[in-house]
Amino acid sequence: MDAVEQENSERQKKWLKDKKIGEGTYAVVYQGREAGTNRKIAIKKIKVGQFKDGLDMSAIREVKFLRELKHKNVIELLDVFSAKTNLNLVLEFLDSDLEMIIKDRSLVFLPSDIKSWVAMTFRGLEFCHRNWILHRDLKPNNLLIASDGHLKLADFGLAREYADPGYKMTHEVITRWYRPPELLYGAKYYGSAVDIWSVGCIFAELMLRIPYLPGGSDIDQLKTIFRALGSPTEEEWPGHTKLPNYVTVGQFPKPPLRDLFTAASADALNLLNKCLIYEPRKRITAKEALHHPYFFALPYPTHPSKLPKCSTKQDTPPLGEMDGNLNGKGRKRKLSSPDGKVRSIARKLDFGQVVAGSDG
Amino acid sequence: MATTRAGGWLQGRTVRKGGALSSTNATRSSTPQQVQSTSSTIYGGGVKDPSGRTAEFFVRQSMDDQCPVCKSDRYLNPKLRLLVSSCYHKMCESCIDRLFTLGPAPCPICNKTLRKLAFTPQTFEDLTVEKEVAVRRRIAKNFNKRREDFPDLRGFNDYLETVEEITFNLINEIDLPETEARIQKYKAENAALTELNVQREEAYVRALREQEDQERRERETRAFELQREEEEERLLRESDKRSIIDKLETSDKDALKVIAKAKAQALKRSTARNASNSTAQSSALLLRSRAAQSNIVPDVPHAPFNDEYHAYESMFSLKSTYNDFMSDAVRKDREGIMRAGGYMVEEAWERAIRCAVAGLDLSPLVGLDDGIPRLPGLDDSGDVVMASA
Amino acid sequence: MATPQAQDSEGSENLPKRPLYESSTQYRNWRFSFDRLARTRASMNRAAVAAIRTKIDAGEPGSSSDIAFLDADEEVLLVKFYIAKMRQLSHFLQFPEEVEATGISYLKRFYLKNTVMDWHPKNVMLTALYLSAKTCNSWIGIEHYVAKIPQLQPSDVLDLEFLVAQSLSFEFAVWHPHRALWGIWLDVQSLPDTPVQLDISIYNDALKYVQASRLTDAELVYTPSQIAIAAFSLASPGIASRWLESKNASNDSMNLNVVEEIKTMIHFQGRPVDIEAVREIDRRLKLCKNPEKVPGSKAYIAKKAAEERKAEEKRYKKAATVQTAAEDGDPFGNELNNTHGGPLVDYDDDDDD
Repeated sequence: MDAVEQENSERQKKWLKDKKIGEGTYAVVYQGREAGTNRKIAIKKIKVGQFKDGLDMSAIREVKFLRELKHKNVIELLDVFSAKTNLNLVLEFLDSDLEMIIKDRSLVFLPSDIKSWVAMTFRGLEFCHRNWILHRDLKPNNLLIASDGHLKLADFGLAREYADPGYKMTHEVITRWYRPPELLYGAKYYGSAVDIWSVGCIFAELMLRIPYLPGGSDIDQLKTIFRALGSPTEEEWPGHTKLPNYVTVGQFPKPPLRDLFTAASADALNLLNKCLIYEPRKRITAKEALHHPYFFALPYPTHPSKLPKCSTKQDTPPLGEMDGNLNGKGRKRKLSSPDGKVRSIARKLDFGQVVAGSDG
Repeated sequence: MATTRAGGWLQGRTVRKGGALSSTNATRSSTPQQVQSTSSTIYGGGVKDPSGRTAEFFVRQSMDDQCPVCKSDRYLNPKLRLLVSSCYHKMCESCIDRLFTLGPAPCPICNKTLRKLAFTPQTFEDLTVEKEVAVRRRIAKNFNKRREDFPDLRGFNDYLETVEEITFNLINEIDLPETEARIQKYKAENAALTELNVQREEAYVRALREQEDQERRERETRAFELQREEEEERLLRESDKRSIIDKLETSDKDALKVIAKAKAQALKRSTARNASNSTAQSSALLLRSRAAQSNIVPDVPHAPFNDEYHAYESMFSLKSTYNDFMSDAVRKDREGIMRAGGYMVEEAWERAIRCAVAGLDLSPLVGLDDGIPRLPGLDDSGDVVMASA
Repeated sequence: MATPQAQDSEGSENLPKRPLYESSTQYRNWRFSFDRLARTRASMNRAAVAAIRTKIDAGEPGSSSDIAFLDADEEVLLVKFYIAKMRQLSHFLQFPEEVEATGISYLKRFYLKNTVMDWHPKNVMLTALYLSAKTCNSWIGIEHYVAKIPQLQPSDVLDLEFLVAQSLSFEFAVWHPHRALWGIWLDVQSLPDTPVQLDISIYNDALKYVQASRLTDAELVYTPSQIAIAAFSLASPGIASRWLESKNASNDSMNLNVVEEIKTMIHFQGRPVDIEAVREIDRRLKLCKNPEKVPGSKAYIAKKAAEERKAEEKRYKKAATVQTAAEDGDPFGNELNNTHGGPLVDYDDDDDD
């Protein structure tokens, strides 16, 4: 056996698979534990050889970047080993994400909770940007929550280095609802501002409990954005009419954010505004955002351990993920319908015993 | 003192003649015919419920009604409406108009001087009840102490008994001057506490309303969500069907298995969706439990960074512009396409310079000292560990 | 930015901050001393020779004693030759500098864990470049790649891809001196008495030295910034030393030694190899390479057969379990509640546990 193969089997022994918890088109996810410490992990097994051009690009990207990024607010890649023709990523186990929490109607968000989540998102993102990495797929689905409440950026399958001397990049990145207008206009040269726009949308979603800018198509997305934030002018955003896919989508006036975000503080709105500035150069950076007065003002951000958590461990398949392209989340997918808690509540409210003739 | 509750009920509002009373939602399922006002003045107030839930009382057997003053009944006058005076005597609107339009005049029944605006619509069938309720309402405004305001139960009960006495006297018109004096005395002595309790009450009502609003908003968004989810579900089902067909065509796996697999996935999805729409808890309850929690682990002030790395910021300072051949393309970007997209050459410069200073003073490793990363498969002395062939 | 941090959100103390480079895999796992490098290569070579000897003797007892195996230095020489070749290929395919540099790093690192007698660098080189194009965002499809290179099949490149990635421990991000060089070029413009228009030939010369350094072991011992300033110093010693001074590095004298060491290395070892020596090595390599890795040889066939047998056993086992499950239940999903404890639907098609 080669030295390389031996090294691999040494690695493989350390990580024990317990059970399968999900599958996608290019990966299978298991829940497992670390031999010796019994620390909970997720093993993402990527099927090599699916891709006719060899190793799959998003697998490469995930591995490349997660190998380098070690931060409290970025999902941790504990190890990588291969087994025959499969690539196994050992990730820390995180069983819920921000989308599940937003959708769970039984949870109430305090302003300090939102502050805490947004702060953690910015910290994780700032660290990526400090390492010159764009995430390019930020959405609540990809912000995983650990059992101790900490938020972690995950799914680096679309990530890329930036700040290269004038290299073209693809504009078809980031899930539509969180995509900034410059990408919708087909910009091939862009920077860290694209991630900031996504964080702005997530911030808004935390306050509204529903997606802020849900467009049905790329053009519709632009319309949705402009209806919500007003159409950009040349003065506001110099040169945007020259972008490759520029089209006019109608003139909309700029409504005040306060009208929709009635419960938000002035600081919060100020920060949100800065995240959603049209000209990418003027958009706030992650580093600046972390120094924004919003975070220093009262109330203090909720301590992660006290943040709301999903009440029941269910799997709500997120809206944007149709073909089951899983990331190292280890989401549970039960085959039987979840019962127990839900059923008993329903029984309590049984109105079947109303006496005839009484007023309702 | 003037009450802020329910608006100034002494104000009259004009309304178009013949228009339905802009009043309250009738909560009773069988509302008798609406009696419309013939007068041009609206009589608001009276025993009015500020939440607007109870309606004006309408006599069921309309035909028997008769104005005691003019003796007209509904047969001749279908729009007959009887109002109540502040001395609790009934008369019809036309009599009121006739008698009081030119100013205050004595009540035809008891001779008490009345003004036109002193008349209110009736809320209760029994006028005595109406009077009692009005009295109690007035008293409650001034006598609003709670159990917590007393050191012991005895004191609270004594207070309640006093209040009952006063109320009884007022209703039955016993010792009126003396009772009124007692009321004034109490008011003077307890002004502060009374005011405080008023505010407490208001705050409670406000919180209640906010909660209702929030629940209503949540209901709305939930409905909207549901609608969208249903649409998605439909789309998903269709794409599932398509993918089954695709898979059956392209895959060489067992057809039964493929279908079973697809069904399993669809089932998982739908049960999950159903489960997520379970009943929501009361927000107030949750907020209260969270408040309790915050005493255990305190929230700490925000700190921008929580990692241990620096990016060599102290080792260089960025100029605003450089003589740089590498960023020719950017300089030639006359139309500003790169700039509009957000590419910032300053970032590329910073990255390069950081790279130029990173690890500059790192001493290279020497010898075979411990602690340096060893290639796996090698033992301590660097020899390859012989594995099984 | 020496502002002391307030107590951070996790409650930990005011730690002195570590430089960002030290979080990279390059710093953590691919940094060696010269002694360590030599030792590793020597052991690797010894072990490989022993193993191959055994395999050759298994086919024909005693035949291995005639063979002149390669030693560690000869391996290094051969790899060096192909580093230069990779550079040519990269230019031919018009890849950016980053791809070339990364591919070369991959090749070097690969041969810290493998021997040329198992895997010939002329093949690994092609795969390393292809992989590097992927990881550096300049990927072209396999079809395009092999189309440009005569007599190359997709499988020639792809068969090795996984092995190369594995040998790199899947650590794909590499920091390079050429970017640091650009940084120096920009930063010297901040020095007080530098002329506004620096002569671009300085940069071009320095870049040539950086490219020469790729033929050496420099990147495995020194940091990219050190190599860059050494290259710059060869092109323009005055400016280089002023820049170093201005950086006020913690240990000045140490720094200058390092720079001198690297300059020497570039000068002596950053030269193309003698082609005759390489030819000689290549000739001998044909005789001493690992028979198991040569498609068509007896040992190769035997090994493949053994692997196939193992896989077949597994398949039988799996089919048996699936069969029993199918017989017990309705495949159309009535039994989805797992009454027999295992999923009816077989998600795991090619499990290799």
